[in-house]
Amino acid sequence: MPQNETVTGLGLEEYKYGFVTEDKPVFKATKGLSEEIVRQISAHKAEPEWMLEFRLKALEIYRSKPMPAWGGDLAQLDAVLDEIYYYIKPQERMERSWDDVPQEIKDTFEKLGIPEAERKVLAGVGAQYESEMVYHSLKKEWTDKGIIFESIEDGLRLYPDLFREHFSTVIPPADNKFAALNSAVWSGGSFVYIPKGVHVDIPLQAYFRVNAERMGQFERTLIIVEEGANAQYIEGCTAPVYSTESFHSGVIEIIIKPNARFRYVTIQNWSHNMYNLVTQRAMVHEGGHMEWLDGNLGSKLTMKYPSCYLVGPGAHGEILSIAYAGPGQHQDTGGKVIHAAPNTTSQIISKSISRGSGRATYRGLCKIYEGSDHAKSKVECDALLLDEKARTDTFPYIEIEEQSASVGHEATVSKIGTEQLFYLMSRGLSEEEASAMIVRGFIEPIAKKLPLEYAVELNRLVELEMEGSVG
Amino acid sequence: MAETEGATLARPDAPAGITAAFHHQALESRMAGEPDWLSQRRLSAWGIYEQLPLPSRRLEEWRYTDPRLLKWDAVTLSSPVAGRIESSAARAFFAGKPSSARVLQVNGGIAAIEVDPDVLGRGVIVKTLPEAALDHESLVREHLGAHARPADGKFIALNSAFWSAGVFIHVPRGVRLDRPIRMVRWIDAAGAAFFPRTLVLAGEGSSFGIVEELASPDFDSPVFCCGVCEVHASSAADVQYVAMQQWGRGVRHLGVQRTVAKRDANLDTLVVNLGGTVARSEVNASLEGPGARSDMLGLYFAHGDQHFDHETRQDHRVAHASSDLLYKGALDGKSRAIFRGLIKVWPGAQRTDAYQTSRNLILSKQAEATSLPNLEIEADDVRCSHAATVGHLDQEELFYIMSRGIPRREAERLVVFGFYGDVLARLPMPGVVRELRDAIEARIG
Repeated sequence: MPQNETVTGLGLEEYKYGFVTEDKPVFKATKGLSEEIVRQISAHKAEPEWMLEFRLKALEIYRSKPMPAWGGDLAQLDAVLDEIYYYIKPQERMERSWDDVPQEIKDTFEKLGIPEAERKVLAGVGAQYESEMVYHSLKKEWTDKGIIFESIEDGLRLYPDLFREHFSTVIPPADNKFAALNSAVWSGGSFVYIPKGVHVDIPLQAYFRVNAERMGQFERTLIIVEEGANAQYIEGCTAPVYSTESFHSGVIEIIIKPNARFRYVTIQNWSHNMYNLVTQRAMVHEGGHMEWLDGNLGSKLTMKYPSCYLVGPGAHGEILSIAYAGPGQHQDTGGKVIHAAPNTTSQIISKSISRGSGRATYRGLCKIYEGSDHAKSKVECDALLLDEKARTDTFPYIEIEEQSASVGHEATVSKIGTEQLFYLMSRGLSEEEASAMIVRGFIEPIAKKLPLEYAVELNRLVELEMEGSVG
Repeated sequence: MAETEGATLARPDAPAGITAAFHHQALESRMAGEPDWLSQRRLSAWGIYEQLPLPSRRLEEWRYTDPRLLKWDAVTLSSPVAGRIESSAARAFFAGKPSSARVLQVNGGIAAIEVDPDVLGRGVIVKTLPEAALDHESLVREHLGAHARPADGKFIALNSAFWSAGVFIHVPRGVRLDRPIRMVRWIDAAGAAFFPRTLVLAGEGSSFGIVEELASPDFDSPVFCCGVCEVHASSAADVQYVAMQQWGRGVRHLGVQRTVAKRDANLDTLVVNLGGTVARSEVNASLEGPGARSDMLGLYFAHGDQHFDHETRQDHRVAHASSDLLYKGALDGKSRAIFRGLIKVWPGAQRTDAYQTSRNLILSKQAEATSLPNLEIEADDVRCSHAATVGHLDQEELFYIMSRGIPRREAERLVVFGFYGDVLARLPMPGVVRELRDAIEARIG
């Protein structure tokens, strides 16, 4: 059988989560972006004056910065940005108990496969429906330990000093055009604070969901992990299919204090009309340990490069990235590690799969500043191409200013081997099963680092992808 | 020349900088005595040069090398005329190095060309480019500017308009040379700009090597040398091209090399950068026939405030071709080296084997290395990989050597030599490898 037939029709054409529930927002701003909208958002959230000023200044920066000329195709984006709603507030109050959550929203979660029972296992569920946290619960013992897991709005309201001390210190509005846009209109997201020495065994989770058509989601998350603390945060998102383009631009800031450990997990499965342009960065202090686990399966175009700024001696950063680009998709993802202190270490592992007209791009940076004595970094990128139309690119930047540094980068590109298929099929597997098995084997080094339920979900997604792949 | 052509020339009020220095009259003096079609090409290249924007660090390919470092605005255009020099004096440049033909260029002009009688008898052509344009018009017309096109970049366009001291080499079908053709390009005029040009055509099944050496004394004022070299290997030809840059201090070097390998051809390049203040090499290998193969080697040693920039491209346009790149450099002092390599596999170029390795050894606190090994793959049945490393002298290796009674400095030299070893081992020209070793040794000192 010709090779190209083995993998046709693999894809996400029929989007599993492409359902729509009727939305009844409490407040919906007018379409498009203006100073007036920014003022409205700030007023609606009853924000302090400094935040309004911050937003307005960010808006100016956003307007002054040109659209990036690199990465994915952003030619249609200006039109999209004019059409979207910059703010929708679905509910007025934060819900404290599951019973108070409206049935409609519960239905949405049901379809997403988040059973009610799960919240007992999940330590705290901050489920984001449209722009704000609608449901928020935190186990009692955590509250006792002093852990804060709130919506970003409540973080600002309840802990104004702590918030202001850290907000925007990792990603200033001028960092890039979309960070500026987010800074101007951010809404929703989480505020997390793990006090000194506190260890959290069960991951904190937030589910995201964009619903209203043409609604931009500008989630903003701020996480502070105090000295010696240890925690994990999981974010997953999925959005329904719409015919017009949609847009998501988040900013995630994480501060890892000395000797703290933190892992941030994202599995992104936006619908295929979504522009997903996210800035996520961690500032890692002495002896700190940061790990990004970044899965990109959905969206039309994703541009996301989780970063670790290793600013304290002995800090460690790790980025595990997995991307799947099906027909019409461009995953422009990767990671950045910046070494700015002695004995810092980092590792980036990236695995990508492209199929049909899909394009997977690894784009990364490893920068070692002078004075980062004995810094070490290792980058590995592997790309798997499923048919002859698929495309993959690798663009690593390696900038070394330090003599005693050791840096290695490796990348390989391959396809599913006829021999591998033949071997598995001679053991009685169908071609479809064999292909799925090879793909699972390819992503396994990353899947095994995921929490169990996510690993299961990822494997299920791969199987879904491979279903009907053999014509 | 027709009146209308004047329109493509620089206006008298042309902006300052490189355009002001390279004005209308200078271009006309280059065209004197040339066939009309060749002059037309210069004019058209000049037009393209004027249209292309000045490169800046905002452009990805110039991100790490500010084009202003090339100081082209601080030089004048040299006169291309250089008297022929005595063959005995010319030979001194090639003493002790076996060769089958010798070309000496001094400043902007060709000073001597000498081809061994037996080689001449087998139909090998080594001529100045203007001579070749008259004697072998169809070959020059077909290939000059076809592989390094003016539209490919501002500096290629500039060279295409102003080249002088052009060299044409043609080795006919089936001819195999056991001694390399050697070119020496010598500059001793400070404050000037030079535009060497080379066109090499390898006939079907021919086999030969070319060694190009660039040398000068040290200068206190800048010298700008912008060279373009095109090498075309027909079916089953086997060509090795070694470019060895040993300019003195003050020289700003921009070397563009475009190679084309047709069916079953083997076209290997070695780019050596040792001298100059700023050196940028752009090496593009195009694989245009099944079975074509290019080995691309690079070697550099930078010290003081030297700035080296290597930009490479492995262009796989058809199926069943292979390329393998290995660039290695050691950096001392406050030097800086950039490597940007791209493997490009076009749709349909199945069964491509393309590899790329860049390794840097940092010897001092203040040296800096940047590596950008890029892949763009649009076919699936390929084997492609790249690797890049930046490291430092291994203290254990040093200790091992020193424990045998060898002083530290000497031990370091040995380790650096060992580091270069696998690049030199891949060059199938033993005599040239020895010369390279000597040249590197003199630099490491």
